[in-house]
Order: sequence, then C-alpha cells, then structure tokens
Amino acid sequence: MNRKSAVLLIAAALVFAAAAAAGAQARPGEITLMTWGGDFVPRAIIEEFEKETGIKVHYKEVTSNEDMQSLLEANPDQYDLIICTDYMVDILRQNGMLEVLDKSQMPNYSNINPVYLNKYYDPESEYAIPYAISISLLLVNQEEVERLGAKPITTYSDLWQPELRSKVVVVDWSVEIMGIVLKSLGYEYNETDPAKVAEAREKLFALKPNIVRFETNTPEDSLINGEAVAGFMYSNQAVKGNAADPRLQPVFPTEGMPIFMDCWVMSKAAPNKEGAYQFLDFIMRPEIAAEIADITKFTTPNKAAEPFLPEDYRNNPMLNLPDEVVENTSFYIGVDKVLVEYEHIYTEFKLR
Amino acid sequence: MSTWKRNLLAAPVLLWIGLLVGVPMVLVVALSFLSRDNLGNIVYQFTLDNYRRVLDPIYLRVFWNSLLLALLTGVITLLIGYPVAYISANLPPRRRALALGLIMLPFWISSLLRTYGWMILLGNTGLINNLLLALGIVDRPLPMMYKFGTSLVGTAYMLLPFMVVAVFNSVDKLDRSLLEASYDLGASRRQTFFHITIPLTLPGIVGGFTLVFIPALGLYFVSDLLGGGNTVFLGNLIHTMATRGRNRPLAAAFSLGMVALALLVLSLYWKVSKDKSGEALFQ
Amino acid sequence: MKAKTRGFGTVYLSLFFVFLYLPVLSVVLYSFNASRSTAQWTGWTLDWYRQLFSDRAIVEAFRVSIVVALLTALLSAVLGTFAAVISLWVTSRMKTAIQGMMILPLIVPEVALGVSLLFFFNAMRLPFGVLTLVLSHSLFCVPYVYIMVRLRLQEIDRSILESALDLGASTWQMVRTIILPLVAPSIVTAALLCLAMSLDDVIISTYMSGPRSTTLPVHVFSMMRVGVTPKVNALCTLILIGTFFIIGLSQLITNKRRFAK
Repeated sequence: MNRKSAVLLIAAALVFAAAAAAGAQARPGEITLMTWGGDFVPRAIIEEFEKETGIKVHYKEVTSNEDMQSLLEANPDQYDLIICTDYMVDILRQNGMLEVLDKSQMPNYSNINPVYLNKYYDPESEYAIPYAISISLLLVNQEEVERLGAKPITTYSDLWQPELRSKVVVVDWSVEIMGIVLKSLGYEYNETDPAKVAEAREKLFALKPNIVRFETNTPEDSLINGEAVAGFMYSNQAVKGNAADPRLQPVFPTEGMPIFMDCWVMSKAAPNKEGAYQFLDFIMRPEIAAEIADITKFTTPNKAAEPFLPEDYRNNPMLNLPDEVVENTSFYIGVDKVLVEYEHIYTEFKLR
Repeated sequence: MSTWKRNLLAAPVLLWIGLLVGVPMVLVVALSFLSRDNLGNIVYQFTLDNYRRVLDPIYLRVFWNSLLLALLTGVITLLIGYPVAYISANLPPRRRALALGLIMLPFWISSLLRTYGWMILLGNTGLINNLLLALGIVDRPLPMMYKFGTSLVGTAYMLLPFMVVAVFNSVDKLDRSLLEASYDLGASRRQTFFHITIPLTLPGIVGGFTLVFIPALGLYFVSDLLGGGNTVFLGNLIHTMATRGRNRPLAAAFSLGMVALALLVLSLYWKVSKDKSGEALFQ
Repeated sequence: MKAKTRGFGTVYLSLFFVFLYLPVLSVVLYSFNASRSTAQWTGWTLDWYRQLFSDRAIVEAFRVSIVVALLTALLSAVLGTFAAVISLWVTSRMKTAIQGMMILPLIVPEVALGVSLLFFFNAMRLPFGVLTLVLSHSLFCVPYVYIMVRLRLQEIDRSILESALDLGASTWQMVRTIILPLVAPSIVTAALLCLAMSLDDVIISTYMSGPRSTTLPVHVFSMMRVGVTPKVNALCTLILIGTFFIIGLSQLITNKRRFAK
C-alpha cells in the first residue's frame, strides 16, 4: 500500500466514522442514561424494560460525578437520565441543568420512603429521586484486633490505638478522612474555624502510622486477605467484605457517619422525556427496586420494595439500615468551600 | 525548492498539532489564571493563587516524588530493556519478529488488570509469598506491597516496551561491519560494546528514555494502586483535583507545572546526551 | 565465545519473559476464580466466560475499542511518518519546531488534554464518538511513530538522497523506493504500540466517547465503584489467546514461505 492510498483510506474511514457518529442522534424510542458502569443499573433490569416497552436504553458509563457534570454540561441534549450523588444533584440544580420532574407521570413515585425526600440537595424534592443509599462505616475483624492486644473497636477514636500499627485501610478521599477526625473531635464535616481545623490536622497526622493503605475501590480486599484488621469504607464494600469472610463485622461509629444518596435526575434538555418517565416509573416498581437493591448491594429508598427483598438482605444491618444508625448520619454539606484546604492537609498527611 | 516552499511541506503537520494541542494548551493556560466558586464552577476572575499553591512546599514534594519515580523508571527500563532489545535485534529475522511480538503482547491487556496482576503476585497472601512460605524460605509473609519500590516496579513494567522498541530500532540498523572492524583491530567485546555499540545506539537510548520518562511523570493509577497511596504522585494529584476536588483552575496550574518540569529535565538530558554523541535524536 | 554469549542471551531473554508474563498469567489465573474478588481464591469456575458471552455491553465496548485502535494506529502511522520524513527537507529551525510540538501532547496531563478537547470539539460541533476518539488518541500516538521513524532516518546518508535526485529521480520516487522501505519496520512496531496505547487509554476516552460509544477501558474503570468482575479477566484471556494465535499463524506462514523458497 503506498502512502496516497493510505491517506485516502484514512480520510474515507474518518468520514465514515463522522457519519456514523452523526447518525447517533437521539431518535424517539430511545433513551440515554449516564452513570457509573458495571451493574450500577443492572443490565438484566434494562433488558426487561426494553422488552416490555420497546424503548432502547443506551447506558453511558463514567467513573465519577464530575465526569457526568462535564459531559452533561457539554451536551445536555444527548442525555435523558443521570444518577449522581447528592452533592452533584445540588450543583446541577443550582447550575440550572435539571428538569423539574412531573410526578403525575410516575405513579410508582409514591413507593419512595418519604424519610429520604426533601433533603438539602433538593429541598422540595422537585428534581431528584433517590435510587441508592450508602453510608461510610467501619468494617472490623475484632478477633484479629484482640490478638494484636488492642481493645475492641467501637468508635473512630479506637483507630488511633498504637497496637494497630499498619493495620488500618481507609478510602482515599480527603473529605472522608478529615471527616473521621472532625467527628472524633465532636465537630462537623464542613468545619472552617481555623483553630478546630488545626486541631484536626494534628490528630490526623497521629493516625498515619496505623494506615497500611489508602484505597477507594476495593478497601474490603485488604481485610479479606488479612493485611488490615479494620477499614473505613462504604457500606456496599463492607457488605462484600462481610460476605467473603463472616468474621468481618460492621461497626457503626458512635460519633456519627456520612450518608450518600445517589439520585436519578433528568436533563433539562433531555431528548426523550416521555421515555425517561417510563423508565423511572419502571425501576420504582416494588419488585424491580428490590431486585436492583439485591444486585447492587445498596440500601433501597423504595419502601414498597421491602417485602420483596430476600431475607439475608433484610437481616443485614449494612443494607437494611437500623433507624438509630440513619439518625446518626449526616451529609457532607458545603464541603466545597473547605475542599482546597482539606486537600492540602490530606496531601501533607499522606506524605508523612 | 526554496526554503519557504520546503517549510510549507510541514504545514499539514503544524496545522494538525497546532489545532489539537495548541488550542487545548491555550485553554489550560487561561484556566490556570482563573478562580472557582463554591460550587466548583469556573469564575472569570484573574488570580495568581493557583500558582502560589503549586509552589507550596508540600506540593513541591509531590513534584519531587514524581520526578524521582520518573528518573528511576527511565534508568531501570534502560538497564532491563537495553539487553532485551540488543539480544532480540541480533536474533535471526523470524525469531526476531516473534520476540518483538511477545514483548508487545502483554500490553494489549488492560493496564488496570495487569496492575491487579502485580497485586496478586506481591500481596501478603499473594502467589510469591505463598511460594516462599511453602518452600520455607521465610516464616512470615514478606511485606512487598504499598511501598515506593512497588510503585517503581509497576511503573517500569508498564513503560518497558517503549524503551525496548526504541532501542531495538537503533540496534537493528546498526552497521555490523563496524563491529567486525572493531574486533579485527583487536578490541575486546567489552571495548567494542562501550566504544562502538553504545555511542551508535545512543539515539535509541535518548528516544526510549524520553518516551518512558514523560509518561512516568504523570502516570495515573498504577503507581497509586501499588504504592497504596502512601506516596503522592503528580498524575493522581492532578486527576483528583480536576475531578472530585472540583478545582480545574488549580489542576491546570499543576499541569503546567508538570509540563515545565518535564521540559526542564528533558532539555538538560538532551543537551548532555547530544554533547556526548553529537548525533542524538533531538539535535 | 560466541555460543556462550548466545546462551547468555537466551537465558536473559527467558528470564525477562518470565518477568513480563507473570502478572499477565495471574490475570489469566483469576479469570477462573470463583470469587469476585482478587483478594481470595475460592475455587475454579468457568462462569465468568459464560457470563462474558451473554454480556452485550462488554462485547460492544470491545468492538468500539478495536475499531478506534485500528483507525488510530493507521492515522498515526501516516501522520507520524509524514512528519518524520518531512523533517529531512525543512529548515533546521522548522525541524526543531516540529519536534517541540511533537513532545507537547505527551507532556500535558491527560485529564487537562481531555477536558480541553471536550470544550474544543464541542465548540467545533464535532459529534462525539469514534471520530473524536480517533482524533484524540492519535494525538498521543503520532509522537511515538514520529520518534521511532526518526530513529531510523538518523542514519540515512544524505548523499544517497542527493545522488538519487541528481539521477533524475523525483522526490516522490525517492521517498517510495528508498525512504519508506528503510523505515517500514519502525512504522510497524510503532503502529503496534499505538494499538496498545489506544486500547488502554481511559482518561481522554472518558471525555471523548459519545453517549453511544463506550470503550473497553472506560467500561472497566466505570465498573470500579460496584466492583470489576473477573469477566474482564476472561475477556483479556481470550484477547491474549487470540493474539497468540495470530502470532503463531504468521510464524507458520513465514516458515512455509521460507521452505517454498
């Protein structure tokens, strides 16, 4: 092949690619949703929906809330539905990206537990429907903790015991780790008072020798393979750790825990709002919501789904969160204004 | 052809890079002087705060960590990769193609999975520790994970093929008659290697180092997964700032800091290697 | 003496391949692990392979990745070679300019490049999908081709080129008959590297893939929140076997050719 024909071939290929991409304009009978991948919205459920309604679902997979924001704000007319975390709902709402949801198109909306409505990110519950709830908690192998000569872990403060040297794993995110320290001191997540932040900073640095690993995605693995005896992680990860090794038990720190709500929201410029409402109504059906919760291992906000949940789900305190645990949780509200400072402290902490 | 006519030939290349790199670079530079509001949105207000942050002693240590990692990665890949490239280039043609194919093949596998592969090997309950325990060589697992060295092994592993291929291309076109002449004149293998082979393959070494050093400086997840986050590297810091940290202007300033660091090191390196050989890659 | 060094070469190369393939083999091994997690081994299974074939998403992502990687390698090979060959003619100042610009896309952190390109392509109203993926991937692939080809051209004897021109050869003839055959091996190896890099890119692809075109690495990374399943290991194992098969086949063909001669 000489160069001319290669150039021609590439030109042709690019034109073809452009044409193919241009052909991907939204058509009626299709919806596009964007969120984390894998089975965050289980494929089996999507296929069921497609079979029932004939509406084709495109699933755009991304890795973070911020990627969703970038992509949505670049092309708001390409996406119908998004699942993002509470704070991102707040941002998208204030940036005017979201559609006010018409509840009359979704009879199953009444299945949502009102406890999870009207939160800070959507005070009147106009824009968002909660989908998956998780908290951060401790997963602990108390047997091993005892063997190391430390006292059983019930609070964040117990993580500072010198016996736990290089035996603690934590999620790798400044806000979470600063949160542990602030809570253990009795302060709030978005503390800005320089004196209190300085106090937290000192206490944080004292924790460093005990940390074996910072890991956001699979912290439970460190407990399963025994390199750590206690971990601060998200509840869906703790559920997996506990399933792999029953000696790993959850501890709900008495100082308080963060809670996260991943919510459905609709793009203001959604190309197929009608199809989107159909989809939302479908996934709020009690039996469907139960199936989703069991696959994803998140707490479902769907009250009507409870009877359909399998027994091991209902008996699992990390999934079927006890009331006193929920009461002891709070959102990371207004962390944005302290983020730069926290990130700096956190970097210094990791470098120690 | 006149000079400007000859230079006109470069127009398509310049246009292509100018558009696809130039425009984004201008955006990044502009962004690095802007501010953000409490929602993480960009505010069009000039500030030098981002650069003040970059020069913070804590963050300068992150630059230093990454620089150290990248330099060591360059050296390690050279020490491991050069002999590989040299030996493979001297194989008979058919086996040479096979060797090259086998060298590149692992890199078709997702680097995330290969990183997990390293964790499976090196972990406390990993394959290597199990083997050592079973053989009675150690009586408790060797802690091999979550250290700077672990990050280094992983980074070097990921970037090795670039070094091998670059050196391979240099060795491959090496004029064998020069080596023969050297032997005929009574030079030993060692003398020939250091006085003929190395200088003649210097362009490959320079090219390979360049192609390894730059990605190593900004590698995104490999160093962090294997290092367990116990050392902070630039790639992850910038990525976190640009995403969850919701501070694109600061991430832009850090990006430009990284660009400056890379250019500084590379220009020094090219200068030194050019003085030595007189015909290195970037003369 | 010579046999001894050859023996050393074989041993060194073998050790190197062990180092190279150990992590790959653990990827393969854990595609048969009954547990979802790489933290424990709970027994052998073929379930992940079964699930792989019924998973439309992963197969589709793989298809997109392959198309993008092939187009990227092709485009980068042409552009990179063009830039390297052009460097023989332009003034040295222009050559320096090209080299400097070639290095730039490698140095800028991917996330900065990705976000900026998102703005830029959006402003140009380019449709996001295969086209934007190929354009952005070629951005960090072209420099590799350029550098590898330049390595070969370094040695080219200018006097050969001059005399070819004196003998009445057109520039194009010279490029075709002298230069391209000389640099062809470099182009091939560089294109193979481009394939690998394109197949592995995740950050830029996140921003460049449209709502309908997820690439395999983006698919895999986006799974991390709910957990990467060994299905991905299974897919990688199959890719590995497939490529081994192709390499073996090409060896067989060249063997046959040799005997035919």
